[in-house]
Amino acid sequence: MAGVLEVKNLSKSFDGIVVARHVDLTLQSGRVLGLIGPNGAGKTSLFNLICGVVKPDGGTVSLEGAPLDGRKFHQRVRSGLSRTWQHTRLFPSLPVIDNLLVGTTDYPGERLVNVLFGRARLRAHDTVARDKAQGFLGKMGLSGVADDLVSDLPYGQQKLVGVARALMGDAKCLLLDEPMAGVEGQAYAAMQRVVREIAESGVAVCVVEHNIAFVRDLCDEGVFMFSGAIMARGSVAELIRDPQLTELYFGH
Amino acid sequence: MEYLYGIIIIVGLYVILATSFNLIIGYGGLVSIAHPVFFALGAYTSAILSRDFSVPVLLAMLAGMLVAVVASIALALPSLRVSGDYLMIASIGFQLGILEVIKNLRFTGGPGGLTNIPPFLIRDFGRESYVLLVLAVMLGVIALVWWISRGDYGRAMSAMRDDELAFSSIGRDAIWMKIAIFALGSGLAGFAGALYAHYFRYIAPEQFEILQSSAILTMVVVGGMRTTWGPAIGALLLQALPQAITFLNLPPSVLGPIQGLLFTGLVLVFMFVRPQGLVPARDIWRAAPRSNAENR
Repeated sequence: MAGVLEVKNLSKSFDGIVVARHVDLTLQSGRVLGLIGPNGAGKTSLFNLICGVVKPDGGTVSLEGAPLDGRKFHQRVRSGLSRTWQHTRLFPSLPVIDNLLVGTTDYPGERLVNVLFGRARLRAHDTVARDKAQGFLGKMGLSGVADDLVSDLPYGQQKLVGVARALMGDAKCLLLDEPMAGVEGQAYAAMQRVVREIAESGVAVCVVEHNIAFVRDLCDEGVFMFSGAIMARGSVAELIRDPQLTELYFGH
Repeated sequence: MEYLYGIIIIVGLYVILATSFNLIIGYGGLVSIAHPVFFALGAYTSAILSRDFSVPVLLAMLAGMLVAVVASIALALPSLRVSGDYLMIASIGFQLGILEVIKNLRFTGGPGGLTNIPPFLIRDFGRESYVLLVLAVMLGVIALVWWISRGDYGRAMSAMRDDELAFSSIGRDAIWMKIAIFALGSGLAGFAGALYAHYFRYIAPEQFEILQSSAILTMVVVGGMRTTWGPAIGALLLQALPQAITFLNLPPSVLGPIQGLLFTGLVLVFMFVRPQGLVPARDIWRAAPRSNAENR
């Protein structure tokens, strides 16, 4: 079965430090893949390479069969690739709802010509986008804080806003960078449920996460990365049982 | 009366310059010092087209604006593709270079400038009509920048200033947005230049020197960056103060330096005492209340 996202032979090194070593990775529609490995294994770097934030030395990335190589980050996002950030990277000057509203794939308000002459179009888009944003906030239990500032929310809720913002763009493939880091309590449960629902809606999901319990409960499959290379792929339970990988993970 | 009209027009034009520069540096977060040169490009284009090629003044004015837009895109496109900081460096070269070219071309009148620029409206409707035109354009520009900053575009500009990488991660193109902001702001400066040329009917390179750039920046900073009325108040204040000083009947040798000290002194005082300017901007972007109400 062809994957939604296909990564082939992706390589990158910075001044001799290899962050990606001939990486092959396939993400399937409706499935959650956990990317695990120790710090410095190249997990976030792999996300950056897939998104085009960092240019690879070699290899290709394609989304639904269409190559993404040479395309800019925002173009890749517009074609259906989305990601979140380890440290949320929300827009602090915007209320929660506006953090989401600015993230729709098509945003007519980003063109001055629409601002000046396309009022009706802007208003129609705004109505649809607001409904959609409220829908996501509702699913995450954030309806009550739609007009709050993101900096006023507890960290766990900020992480949820980050996921909601990434969803506004109708992603076919979603890369989540440590969604659980710093997330506790209700937000933890909400995040688990939300990621599951995203996958069930047909999105191919990849999660970088150090919280092994979360990865085990949630992911259909796991990939173990070390020193820029993929060492093993299999069920998460198998990966954590493997003594060799455990040794790599925790060091000596 | 003529003296007063002249002052009103100068103040009005500087309000346009400060407001359009606020769009670029305040809302767009783009550091450029080339604003006076777009003012010059508008003035020269409109003056030359109407004087030497008999183009109707209104058309020539619009052409002046267009030339400023095209020139600003030519400057911003390569610089912004490299990085945001590069625009500032490139804009210094652009400001100095273009002015040097103007000084050395024959059809721009060289260092002596252009005289006998065709007047507009004044012959048929009197000076008052021109004052009204400038004030109307001024209010239009203020309204335009307010309109842009409060709606969907303003939301996107806020997000872009907050975090450019995150802005890309939601599919927005920061470079294109910056170019559009820069082009619009520069085009408005170009139109102000055209309005300047056809009233005073004399333009020379020295009127568009780099010093003007610091004056416009001072107006924006002292008035209040990223606010609707701040730059307008800043322009009014910084144009009125030097005029007021001329009434003190000081000798010209003292007057010039005093005006210079006043500008730099004001910036220093404001940096210490009131860095947010006379009109403080809100840290938080909120949609215009009316459009919120429409959605509920």
